[in-house]
Amino acid sequence: MTRRSLRWTLLVATLAAGATALVLAFLLSLATGNRELYERHFGWILWVNIAVAILLGLVILIALGHLARRMRHGKFGSRLLLKMAAIFAFVGAVPGLLIYGVSYQFVSRSIESWFDVEVEDALEAGLNLGRGTLQLLANDVGQKTRVAVEQRAAELGRQNPLLALERLRQQLGAQSVALLGPQGQLLASSGGDLGVTLLPPRPSASLLRQARQSRVTAVLDGLDDDRPNPTKGAPAAAVQASVRVLAWLPSSDYSLLRDDRFLQVTTPIAPELAGNALRVQHAYLAYQQLALGRQGLRKMYIGTLTLTLILGVFAALLMAAALGHQIGRPLVMLAEGVRRVARGDLSRTEVFASRDELGGLTRAFADMTRQLGDSHSIVQRSLAEVESAKTHLQTLLDNLSSGVILFDAAGRIGTVNPGAGRILRVPLDDLRGRFLADVPDLATLAAEVEARFTAHAQELEPGSAAASDHWQATLELGGGGPVDASAGARTVLLLRGAYLPDGARLVIVDDITDVVSAQRSVAWAEVARRVAHEIKNPLTPIQLSAERLEHKLGPRLSGPDQQMLERCVRTIVAQVQAMKTLVNEFRDYARLPAAKLQPLDLNALVGEVLGLYAAPQEQGQLRAGLGSGLPPILGDASQLRQVIHNLVQNGLDAVADRPDGRVQLRTEALRDGEGRLRAVRLKVCDNGPGFAETLLKRAFEPYVTTKAKGTGLGLAVVRKIVEEHGARIRLGNLADETQEAGTSSALNGAEVSISFSRWSADPGEPYLVAPASPAATVPPS
Amino acid sequence: MALPLLLLSLMATGLPDRSWAASPVELARLELQRNPEGLLLNFDTRFDLPAGVEGALQRGVSLYFVAEVQVLRSRWYWFDRQVLEVRRTWRLSYQPLTFNFRVSFGGLSQTYATLPEALRSVQRASRWRIAEAGVVEDDSPHTVVFQYRLDADQLPRPLQISIAGRSEWQLAVERTITLPAER
Repeated sequence: MTRRSLRWTLLVATLAAGATALVLAFLLSLATGNRELYERHFGWILWVNIAVAILLGLVILIALGHLARRMRHGKFGSRLLLKMAAIFAFVGAVPGLLIYGVSYQFVSRSIESWFDVEVEDALEAGLNLGRGTLQLLANDVGQKTRVAVEQRAAELGRQNPLLALERLRQQLGAQSVALLGPQGQLLASSGGDLGVTLLPPRPSASLLRQARQSRVTAVLDGLDDDRPNPTKGAPAAAVQASVRVLAWLPSSDYSLLRDDRFLQVTTPIAPELAGNALRVQHAYLAYQQLALGRQGLRKMYIGTLTLTLILGVFAALLMAAALGHQIGRPLVMLAEGVRRVARGDLSRTEVFASRDELGGLTRAFADMTRQLGDSHSIVQRSLAEVESAKTHLQTLLDNLSSGVILFDAAGRIGTVNPGAGRILRVPLDDLRGRFLADVPDLATLAAEVEARFTAHAQELEPGSAAASDHWQATLELGGGGPVDASAGARTVLLLRGAYLPDGARLVIVDDITDVVSAQRSVAWAEVARRVAHEIKNPLTPIQLSAERLEHKLGPRLSGPDQQMLERCVRTIVAQVQAMKTLVNEFRDYARLPAAKLQPLDLNALVGEVLGLYAAPQEQGQLRAGLGSGLPPILGDASQLRQVIHNLVQNGLDAVADRPDGRVQLRTEALRDGEGRLRAVRLKVCDNGPGFAETLLKRAFEPYVTTKAKGTGLGLAVVRKIVEEHGARIRLGNLADETQEAGTSSALNGAEVSISFSRWSADPGEPYLVAPASPAATVPPS
Repeated sequence: MALPLLLLSLMATGLPDRSWAASPVELARLELQRNPEGLLLNFDTRFDLPAGVEGALQRGVSLYFVAEVQVLRSRWYWFDRQVLEVRRTWRLSYQPLTFNFRVSFGGLSQTYATLPEALRSVQRASRWRIAEAGVVEDDSPHTVVFQYRLDADQLPRPLQISIAGRSEWQLAVERTITLPAER
């Protein structure tokens, strides 16, 4: 761009310089007054100048068109360019016009002043003077010749007139004297510069005729000025002017036969005279020519001036455009850069390569833009970091199992995570932007939280350093009021709260129901173990003591006393036995050994256990459906045997008082869509009364039972064993499905399913078969 | 005048290709002759100098008269070939010192006492040998363009500018005739 504009500027400058040089040559020739040179070259110089002017005009037109197009397209900076070009053009053109005006007047006046009536008159007078003098001279020679001819007519009429001619020549002081025939042919001659070789010119017929009429006639020879443009002073040296007189010699009386003869006398004219006369004539002619071409001269000079003006103005215009472009470009560049920055484009801006202030300005602007861009990118980066941190936090909150609720200063819920909704069993949308107390079912929680915060605030008031920065509380939320504690379908919540800056409050909610339940199990186990230990020890002495009493006292008593003793002892022994059983169960629960996991065939195990229930099977109360393709699972055969035993017994107990009671045991392999094994399931279901709603949650806790004689430890033991096997146990009622099917509610029942997810990796590997264990024959206690 | 026209019609079979009736110069005679010496041309023009031109002559301006002959051989496939081009120039000037008119032609010059005499000498030429024998072949017709004019290009430049566009200075006549083939 810079290079191109520079080239343009150079081109235009060269053109302008060339045109100016031509004009200068013009003016120089004008100034030196070398008019001939000027006039000779006027033609082609004129055309060259016109051509240059046309060229410049074309360039200007193209430039103007270019500018107009740019302006029409609203291209940036074109107005500035136009303005600058206009200013420069104005500055260039106005002085030119002024000089033109003055020169015009000057030239036209000075050309007029060349022509002067007095000069013209003087020249004409000089010409007349010269002409008169020469004519006088000619007449004089003519007169003398006439006289001489009259005197010597007889002499000339002789046969040999040479002597007479010579005398005549001397008498007249002539250059040459010749005797001519009637047609002007030479008869005899005397004199002449170089003898006979240079004869006087033969007179023309008209001259002869004239001589015959007026006897003597005189002409001037050698006054011809053949050169079109004689140089000054030169003519005088070369002039060889002479007066030629032709005199008619009438034929003499005695020779009638003779024709007319003519005498031609040539007399030289003084060279000074002839030269001066010629010079006057030349000046006169030159003046006349000038006067004749006055209009043309004026046109020439004025035309030259006008052309000069046009060239000058054009050159000024072009220079103006080029200069304006050169000066305006950095400004345009700057403005363009500003616009880009305003648009938000902070990429590199162009720098104008010059060392002046404008170049410095563009450089400074580029620096500024770069710094802006740098800081902008830093801001962008930190924004992105903040954004990603926020996203990270949000992900964390969303995936947190604890519920997080953030209250704003007014007490409205601001942020709440899905965990909170899950724990509180309230849709998230119902929580956001509301007061906690306004949410249905959460009034208790709201009151608790409010009370805790109030208390915490009071605690914080003194500003003691010892005070914790948060509070903690547990809260039981029940579905409906304080029902029987043991049947609690309740959720135990752990609440933690803290004040945040700006008055916001944070509450973290955790569902610790399962934790509480687990703690309870552990506590029960401990209690059972201690109680069993403490109770078991005195039982045997009690039994032995009672039997000894009967042994010692029995023979001595008789009658009703003996019967009473026997009855009492029997009662004591039976009760002690029952208590022993109870204590053993407690001990078993508390001291369940760790499972030894080995591959075993679940179906074989089930078959083995069912062998103990031959009677119910025969009565149709118990049915087994064993699935095929079960992989060997990893398990402890004796413990699992107890599990199956407990479940089957529970089922049989549940349907004991029903005539159509039925218990089903099934095993199956669960596979996913691609046929891969997902789990091995053992399922026991009955058509008894099923689990009560309140029981479902706590069925696995010890001492929770529906049986009149149960210890409540069966399912607790089952769960413990199942958990040791890494399997999952699920309790449920069949009621929902069957009721939906439209059958009567009498068909509902309980369903217990256990899913084993650990099995031997290689099904081909031999595994321990359950019947190998001797414990298989041991019936459940 | 009838005789020259007759001669012309005998010699030149082609009709004049443009009208010269409006021209101040009348071409009274234009003849071409072939003879053993070569191609000879005779012409005779008639005109009087317009007042302005005569005024300029009286004031010392030399007038140049030019007679120009072009012989073209026509070619059907291209522009005509120019066989030859010859010209004659006369210079007519006035000598106020001796009231003489002077005609220069080549290196020769002659003085005349009156303008009509001087003018007559430049208005015509006879037996102007425009080509040597054999230069213009006689086996095909040729076009001969004859032009006679007052040559304004040799006037002084200011005068040229002054008279530009004045019709009285445009003394010219042009005629095209065909030189028939002789074989």
